[in-house]
Amino acid sequence: MHGARDAGPAAAGPHRQAAAAPASRARPRGAREDRRGVRAGLFAWPALLIFLGFVAYPVLWIALRSLAPDTAPGSPRGAFANYLRAFADPVFWIAMRNMALWAIITIPVQMAFGGLIALLIERYTRRSRAFFRTMFFLPVVTSVSVVAIVWSQMYAPYYGIVQAWLQRLGLTLGIALLADPRTVIFALIVVNIWQWTGFSMMMYVAGINAIPEDIFDAARIDGARFRHLVLRVVVPLVAPVTKSLLLLGVIGTLQTFPIVYLMTGGGPDHASEVFGTEIFRQGIVLGNTGYGAALSVLVLVLSLALSLLQITALGAELAPRRAREEAVA
Amino acid sequence: MKRQRWLASLLAGIVLLATGAAWAQSGQTVTVWSWFIASTMQKSIQAFEAKHPGVTVKYTYYNYAPEYLTALKAAAASGSLPDLIGLQPGSLTQQYRANLEPLDAYAKREWGADWASKIFPVDRRQMHMGNPAGDDSTYMLPEESQVLCIWYNKDLFAKFGLTPPTTYDALVKTAKTLASHGIMPMFQGAADGWQNENVYLMLADQRAPGLIDQAQAGKAPWTSPALVQAMQDWAGLFKDGVFQQGALGAHAYPTGAQLFAQGRVGMMALGSWWMQEAKYPPPLPPLVQNMQGFDFFMFPALAAGGHASPPVGGIDIGYGMTKAGAKNPAAWTFLASLVQGDGLQAALNDLNDLPSIAGPKPEGDISPNILAMYDRFMTALPHAENQRFGNPEIADALDNALAGVAAGKLEPEAALKQVQAVTDRVLGKS
Repeated sequence: MHGARDAGPAAAGPHRQAAAAPASRARPRGAREDRRGVRAGLFAWPALLIFLGFVAYPVLWIALRSLAPDTAPGSPRGAFANYLRAFADPVFWIAMRNMALWAIITIPVQMAFGGLIALLIERYTRRSRAFFRTMFFLPVVTSVSVVAIVWSQMYAPYYGIVQAWLQRLGLTLGIALLADPRTVIFALIVVNIWQWTGFSMMMYVAGINAIPEDIFDAARIDGARFRHLVLRVVVPLVAPVTKSLLLLGVIGTLQTFPIVYLMTGGGPDHASEVFGTEIFRQGIVLGNTGYGAALSVLVLVLSLALSLLQITALGAELAPRRAREEAVA
Repeated sequence: MKRQRWLASLLAGIVLLATGAAWAQSGQTVTVWSWFIASTMQKSIQAFEAKHPGVTVKYTYYNYAPEYLTALKAAAASGSLPDLIGLQPGSLTQQYRANLEPLDAYAKREWGADWASKIFPVDRRQMHMGNPAGDDSTYMLPEESQVLCIWYNKDLFAKFGLTPPTTYDALVKTAKTLASHGIMPMFQGAADGWQNENVYLMLADQRAPGLIDQAQAGKAPWTSPALVQAMQDWAGLFKDGVFQQGALGAHAYPTGAQLFAQGRVGMMALGSWWMQEAKYPPPLPPLVQNMQGFDFFMFPALAAGGHASPPVGGIDIGYGMTKAGAKNPAAWTFLASLVQGDGLQAALNDLNDLPSIAGPKPEGDISPNILAMYDRFMTALPHAENQRFGNPEIADALDNALAGVAAGKLEPEAALKQVQAVTDRVLGKS
């Protein structure tokens, strides 16, 4: 308020004001605004320092470390040797393939299930709305260790939870999904979808609630059925949420670690290896810090490239319009 | 004025707090990090502190992986390692060798010039495993040792008229009998590399004792007929139904151990550490109480007319003293207590695990059944073959080879060729 009163009717812009006013009057006002700018800039310093200390410095350290060869005997030499080693390492490409499968399967499935559940809850429940929201969101806040143990037991043939149910029907679960290199990654993807669909649902809940009720009323008056309501009203209007989920999904995919580490450790024979488990194995367990750092940098570059690609292709509108308008207001 | 008074009070508060903190730290404090079971470590610390009233031990427990390994890595990089760190012989010790103090002079002062000769041969070899040529220093001292074996459920064996198998054929028959009654025959947590290594070591050391040690040192090829044969034996354990279905996706802990303790598993390849189940806080499953439901045997003879596997084992856990710990006299005092003093005795009383020297025995509330098992393990330990790998990349390559063969993706010889390639690389031969 104080600032606005100072600016007076000439608040159309400091440049215009400076040009119109005599130099002797403009200087103190400009200096005052400079001081205000400096003071305001001070508020950014804590965040900037935290960013420099906890983000920029580690990234720089890792990037420099990735250029130094490991000291272990037999480690490749040369500035970019760790990167060349990664491209020649079959495990790196297994992780790349698994990450691609992870993204291609989990992101759309989670979106579809999450969106559908959100729509059903928000449009077709009233008293039980909070209950269903909580139930579907529960896996998201469940400890990943618990999720890993329970799903490992469910998948276990012979003694697992699913087997216990099948036994009642006289059936035996003969497939060991986590033990078979051909199925293990898909078994893990199912667990991931189960755990994170609730997150997509909550995002869509916010998106659907941001759609004005009169749009639904108009659609109904126009005779829109459920299918039309979903495809022509809800899907276009929650597009910003979908874009956000896509962006978060890709980043989340590249960050995948705990569920794979706890359930399979990347095995059997690297069949479920993801970038996280391979970086941990190389950098921490095997002590190849340089190679682990190079893998981390590659994942960072990939993550940045994919994020920029999405923002360029889909636009940066990542929040529902009403939410943005409310934030601006 | 008001503001000045407020600032003065704040400063006075800070000074008081700092003084209090300094006073609290006036006694000696030893910091220790490890993955060693916290309840047992607390008993060792209590026993130590009772004898050394001026010293406080601050113990930080971590899960071995990923927490402990990550914490060590970060602390080593930032120069903030504690005084003592838990170590496994070989690769883990070697990774932190530059941060560790050689312990020979301390040990000589504490236990005399012949201190090393009192430690069991397998432990002694493992203490120096992976040291660069010409470096005979000791960077870690063993607190406890272990011997690998096959544990079995005595009640189930008695129920189905089974006896501990002495031949491979008898083992397969035993497994089939157990499976036919809905019992998991031998639980293998084959998703964990360590349990696969242990079983393969038992097989390989039966085929040719000590050959794996030579192979990892580059003195014998991994494709030696005996090691290829052992790899075929390994594949046979899956094909012949000795291991439970889906073993490759299973974990030994917590799943396998829980099922074994509940009586749903017939056999399991573990080691002397399994005795400690009897000391966990109640309620304990009846089988585990005083280990009354369990006994063990060495892996049965693979070839007709052959012998069971020799004992395989070595250091269960050891400790190293960091450069920071070397500046703290109390650090060595506690380390010595853990290795051969009150700290060790308290751990043994908790049945965790076997000592690295002859003499100490568990005391207190220990059943004769357990003491008899303990004596059998202690008889085997001096003759044990080495269980550890000096280089983590070789161990990792073997883990992958074992998983590949078990999954049917690799033939035994091809799998061992991959291990050979990694061995050649890390030994600088290729």
